[in-house]
Amino acid sequence: MSRRILIIDDEDDIRQVAALSLETIAGWDVIVANSGAQGILRAEEHQPDAILLDVMMPGMDGPTTFRELRKNPATAKIPVLLLTAKVQGPDQRRFADLGVEAVLLKPFDPLTLAAQMSKVLGWE
Amino acid sequence: MTEALARLWTKFLPDIEQRAQVIIAASRTLNTGSLSDEQRLCAHTAAHKLAGTLGMFGLPHGTELARKIELLLGEELLTGAASDLAVWSADLAALIQANKEPQAQ
Repeated sequence: MSRRILIIDDEDDIRQVAALSLETIAGWDVIVANSGAQGILRAEEHQPDAILLDVMMPGMDGPTTFRELRKNPATAKIPVLLLTAKVQGPDQRRFADLGVEAVLLKPFDPLTLAAQMSKVLGWE
Repeated sequence: MTEALARLWTKFLPDIEQRAQVIIAASRTLNTGSLSDEQRLCAHTAAHKLAGTLGMFGLPHGTELARKIELLLGEELLTGAASDLAVWSADLAALIQANKEPQAQ
């Protein structure tokens, strides 16, 4: 089943590899945003099936972006998966406590990212 | 997929090398005992980004090295930090240099 995914990450390389992975492996439609603010606008406009959201971004970081998405009735119910290179336990717990669907670790494997997302989101 | 990923590796290699150079520069400065907070933060950020990127391109050892550097620069710099940073940053730069050709996934 085709899905539409919004990737919000300030790093070009991460955005492009994730987009390549989800488009090529899973055949999903991908929309990208390079900041939290842009991501919120894209989420409102495109109503993606899920959002892959980077944690560390300049300006509005991932957790703040997530809270804004949840406050907005137009985006409140879109599943959000946090993407982070912070692997230490306290960070993981802090992110999980936000109420996101899952916390995925960087570096992700481009060959299995879509499967990982599908599993977490119950799309299998 | 593999070819497309290899193209992205080639495309982003200059950014990756630049980040490694930021860390090398910080290591050299730390050896002289004059690493500023600003330079340390830049190197910490560069290490964080490399940790999140290199494994994605098939260089998991690069991610491990970058992660060790990120942790080192995020904590109080204890005795031995300068020599650890010198070794890890040199290893990281060498690893990137040795893998300039696209990686097979």
